[in-house]
Amino acid sequence: MCLELENLHIQKQGTSLFDPVNLVIAPGEIATLMGPSGCGKSTLLSAVSGSLDPVFTLTGKIRLNGREITSLPMEDRNIGILFQEDLLFPHMDIGSNLAFALRENIPGPERRALVGRALESAGLEGFEKRDPSSLSGGQKARVSLLRSLLARPGALLMDEPFSRLDQTLKAVIRTFVFSRIEEMNIPALLVTHDPADCPGGGRIINLDKG
Amino acid sequence: MLPLTSLGKSGFFPVFIMASFGLTLLAGLLGTVLPSLDYLPVIGHTRFSWSPWQEFLSYPGIFSSIRVTLISGITASASAVGLSVFWACCAHGSRTWRLFEKALSPLLSIPHAAFAIGFGFLIAPSGWLVRMVSPGITGFSSPPDWILLNDPYGLSLAAALVIKEIPFLVMVMISAMGQLDMEKTLLAGRALGYKKEQIWLKILIPRLYPHIRLSVFAVIAYSFSVVDMALILGPGSPPALAVQILKWFNDPDLSLKLVAACGSLFLFALVGAGIGAAFLMEKILGFFLAPWVVNGRRRSILTRLKPLFLLPGLGIMGITGAATLLLVIWSFARQWQFPEVLPASWSLKFWTTGLVSCFYPFVTTLLTGMAAALLGLVLTIGCLEHGAGAKRKGTRNLNTPVFYFLYLPLLVPQISFMAGIQLVLVVVNLDGSWITLLWSHLIFVLPYLFMVLQTTYLSYDQRFWDQALLLKRSYFPALFRIKLPMLVRPVLFSFAIGFSVSVAQYIPTMVVGAGRFSTLTTEAVSMASGSDRRALAVYALLQQALPMIIYALALITPKILYYNRKGMQV
Repeated sequence: MCLELENLHIQKQGTSLFDPVNLVIAPGEIATLMGPSGCGKSTLLSAVSGSLDPVFTLTGKIRLNGREITSLPMEDRNIGILFQEDLLFPHMDIGSNLAFALRENIPGPERRALVGRALESAGLEGFEKRDPSSLSGGQKARVSLLRSLLARPGALLMDEPFSRLDQTLKAVIRTFVFSRIEEMNIPALLVTHDPADCPGGGRIINLDKG
Repeated sequence: MLPLTSLGKSGFFPVFIMASFGLTLLAGLLGTVLPSLDYLPVIGHTRFSWSPWQEFLSYPGIFSSIRVTLISGITASASAVGLSVFWACCAHGSRTWRLFEKALSPLLSIPHAAFAIGFGFLIAPSGWLVRMVSPGITGFSSPPDWILLNDPYGLSLAAALVIKEIPFLVMVMISAMGQLDMEKTLLAGRALGYKKEQIWLKILIPRLYPHIRLSVFAVIAYSFSVVDMALILGPGSPPALAVQILKWFNDPDLSLKLVAACGSLFLFALVGAGIGAAFLMEKILGFFLAPWVVNGRRRSILTRLKPLFLLPGLGIMGITGAATLLLVIWSFARQWQFPEVLPASWSLKFWTTGLVSCFYPFVTTLLTGMAAALLGLVLTIGCLEHGAGAKRKGTRNLNTPVFYFLYLPLLVPQISFMAGIQLVLVVVNLDGSWITLLWSHLIFVLPYLFMVLQTTYLSYDQRFWDQALLLKRSYFPALFRIKLPMLVRPVLFSFAIGFSVSVAQYIPTMVVGAGRFSTLTTEAVSMASGSDRRALAVYALLQQALPMIIYALALITPKILYYNRKGMQV
């Protein structure tokens, strides 16, 4: 149960963005990609998620739980993403936003129960019928994470997920997100430019210019 | 008098549009309802009665007319909406989609009548499609007696309508997409394991639909009440209801104007029912599909059917291209017998005679189109300046109600509304003047100008405007020397759209012009019944070429004006 990057190398018009990356992230571990903007960390993340812009060429291998996913389309990789924005669908209520993430094989009554329990666990009990725009920034961030995790991803990628939150909220949401990843016991890769975002004791990878 | 300090402060433009559109709509309503109740003093009917209605309902073939309208109208609007939606789901982001996007302006600029004529040349029993396979496959040495054109159910009319309506709906969808975070939504959906087509169906279409709803209603109104295309492609007798109304209205027997008024109201009710049905359908689908949206199914049958749904876009471009090409070939043909695929001999004769005889209608078309587009542009910019000013100062923005007034004429059958106005104009002795003709065109030009210009105009960078005001120190120099020159591209583009809408108008010219004005459109439509195909092709091409030339000028002018300004290039 881990996410492996083997000799991952990204080039644009023959120029390397950074030295080849070798990384194995264990279940429950949160590795952090650090570096100033423009160093290619977001590009690396999009290569792992499967949304790499075709102007880049990718070599090397990406494996999730031993299965190679390097050339699979994004939707078939079983990798969840936490974006900078919450990206909750504004025309659906909170309950539907969460139910959208549940897998098809879960029967109806259980779906409702799972959504209810997820909300409860985030201190948002009874929020099913609420309009996403009526939630506070912190509440939206939590629902967004719940939605990513309800799809039962094999790994989670996070692209500057806290950068839009204000200082006091940041710490709270960070703790919430990190504890959830530990509970789910999945590998996670975090991209950030803020050293304060790094989880205590987690590995930090600085991308070197090749 | 306009305040000379600022168009923004003044509510003149929005109030003028609301008042004049309101009055026009009211006149249209009065001029329809009163005659339908046997009240029309100009022809001596002053006592209310139901007799026009009795005559309407007992008119020979009336129910066949209603049936044609219902069948062609429902088929056309339902297929246009369905195909646009599925085409967007499957094609968006593909190469075909980008090609279609580039083809949109030329596709939209083709007047309905010109397209209908070319489409007729293509699908007629003696048309290109049959010629291509004759006598090789079919063995025909003379045209078959199939009823491909002017079929009794109006299906060829419906097909042509679908081809004309899809580009319009796609254009509206594209501008709505600009207001949604499409790419982000697709990423979020795919990160949850959903196929692209399924995200479109489950998330994006429900979000887009509210933005295109009014345009769907306009498509319904148009499909139910189109006259020029129905004259060319629809059944002859009994014709579609809208065509029958025009016939009654233009009949020398003046009492038939009362029956025409009943027909207008009836058509109005049919359109109302159509729009109501679409609204109901949206709610019902929304209700019953809500559980399907969240059932977790990530794959869609559309993913496998994708190649099939790429066809509508390719088909539209192909058929429109072929129809245009056919017009060109016919216009230069001398002898072209069935089943030859190309003419046996060529001639410039029809161009030389056509170019001479078209002079008067050509000038009317050009002047009316230019005047309507220019006037429309002034009114639109006036309104948008008011909107920008109101937004800035936090005062009341009158443009919100204006939008509904502007859209109303597109949701009402054109023939119903115009016939009513014409009767009122006769009463007040203003009928048949060029000014009223211009106004009748402007009513349909203005909504499109507004739709096209609004978004870009309101997103003009406010900081440039602040600088302009600071430096120029007064409003009009800042507007004319800085803001409008910077917005020259969208302004000229919307002018071209307005012009093409005016060129395509058939009913306003026929009805409000009171037969005193002929344009390329009215000429082409009247020639479509029985004239020489070669002479007809020349007129249809002229009608099609005029808006395209204006489009081309609108695209090229900014490039020439700013050839040495990199910041003004796209």
